[in-house]
Amino acid sequence: MQLVQLARRNITGNAFRSWVVALCACLVAGLALGTTLILRGADSSLRLANQRLGADIVVVPEGAVEKVEGALLMGHTTRVWMASQNLDKVVGVPGVQAASPQIYLSTLLNASCCSVPNMFLVAYDPATDFTLEPWLKNTIGQGLKLGEVVGGAFVFTPEGEQNIQIYGYLVTLKANLEPTGTGIDQSMFMTLETARDIARVSVTMAVAPLEIPDDGISAVMVQLDPGADPQATAVEIMHRVPGVTPIVSSNLFQAYRKQLGSLRAGIGATLGLTLGLSVLLIGLVFSMAANERRRELGVLRAMGASRAFVFRTLLVEAGMLALAGAFTGITLTILVVYLFRTLIVVTLGLPFLMPALSTLAAEVLAGLGVALVVITLAALFPAVRISRLDPAVAMRE
Amino acid sequence: MKINALLLVLLALVISIVPFFTDCSSQGRVLTLQNGRTIPMKCHWTGRAELAVALPLAVVGALLALSKRKETRRFLAIVGAFLGLAAILLPLAFIGVCSSAEMTCKMIMEPVLILAGIVVIAVSGLVLFQSRGPEAVS
Repeated sequence: MQLVQLARRNITGNAFRSWVVALCACLVAGLALGTTLILRGADSSLRLANQRLGADIVVVPEGAVEKVEGALLMGHTTRVWMASQNLDKVVGVPGVQAASPQIYLSTLLNASCCSVPNMFLVAYDPATDFTLEPWLKNTIGQGLKLGEVVGGAFVFTPEGEQNIQIYGYLVTLKANLEPTGTGIDQSMFMTLETARDIARVSVTMAVAPLEIPDDGISAVMVQLDPGADPQATAVEIMHRVPGVTPIVSSNLFQAYRKQLGSLRAGIGATLGLTLGLSVLLIGLVFSMAANERRRELGVLRAMGASRAFVFRTLLVEAGMLALAGAFTGITLTILVVYLFRTLIVVTLGLPFLMPALSTLAAEVLAGLGVALVVITLAALFPAVRISRLDPAVAMRE
Repeated sequence: MKINALLLVLLALVISIVPFFTDCSSQGRVLTLQNGRTIPMKCHWTGRAELAVALPLAVVGALLALSKRKETRRFLAIVGAFLGLAAILLPLAFIGVCSSAEMTCKMIMEPVLILAGIVVIAVSGLVLFQSRGPEAVS
């Protein structure tokens, strides 16, 4: 009888033991892959959000850092204001190459005049913008006109409609941005001119008017001269422009990075505990199985099977169970993480982006590897012990 | 075989019960017509239609636990696989759920039904595999 065939018979011969080992492999591989997917997904989403922002420094009103970060990363609607004169002051700071204002608004919640409830809206100045305009020119060949908007990946025109209604004003969705796994996916971008037109129309057409202060802006996006030091320029902005907080792009989303750090520590501890317990449990199951099968293995040895053959049979059996369990665990994990990605974002309060196929394949292989190593390690000691047993002693017992 | 049968019955329970607590109507969200009448959104009807999948699936699971013949099991597995496919297609293609990503029907009900449908198909496939070959001669 061949090695694999014998291992297969052993697996089907004791269904309960096989289920326990396969379940452990399923748990270990699934947990390892699941945690990696979520943590790396959040990491890459944060990185992408930073890149998409396209600014070296973001200047926000003093005390509004968390609100603006929550808006830019999670799409939490916010309204923060500072004087528009701050823009000129920021432009005058040495090292600043370009600066462009943005206004943060939101649609109304549960109002019939808005076809999208509580959506984060960003109004920008096309004359000075350096974050969205280059992308727009590459994608649709021109900037946005009055009444036109660009949406995040999940923004769509309602079924059977031609336009999206905001404060009773109809806007046309011109294009969608690539998914980032952040709140940007559910945000809408328009020019300041469109925003002010919506505010004008909303007075008569909306349940509540859209209010935009004449001399108010929410944030200033800053692009630095090549070679300029971001930290030094941020300090300079703070000195020259009172009442604002400049955030260097590498320091953006600090609250979320901290949250991710603590989540990583918690998940790491859980994963370590699961791995340890699985090794112990599988080791115990295999020890019991090996004891149960002393006579059977003794007979096998007496019939001429070598120690190495018995040892290999036990390891192949463990390997087959590990692969079957791990494959099931990995498939289920990918399905669960993919299908429940929005729920994960809402529950953890962190952005999340599924990895590219090549990265996913590498992570799947790593998950399989972890399960294989854990189970082989656990089966190693009982396999060595039983294969060294004298056949006569084993059969007599 | 008994484990597979039990799994199918459990999945039938999931498919029938979860929509009752995760459709928009259960969250108090309904469509208000111009005449003031309120009607449930389409996710509500998907949830009700899933009952027509879950009930036969539970029967398939029960029959599978009782069946001794391979041919019967094979037939039940094929019916189970089609029911799993129907459980997936109801929210995805036949009726659908609400479009907004953060509504409970889109965020929880749809993924649960798709996942349950996939597992039903996988379990049915396993039953079909285990029931291959001719009947054992007694």
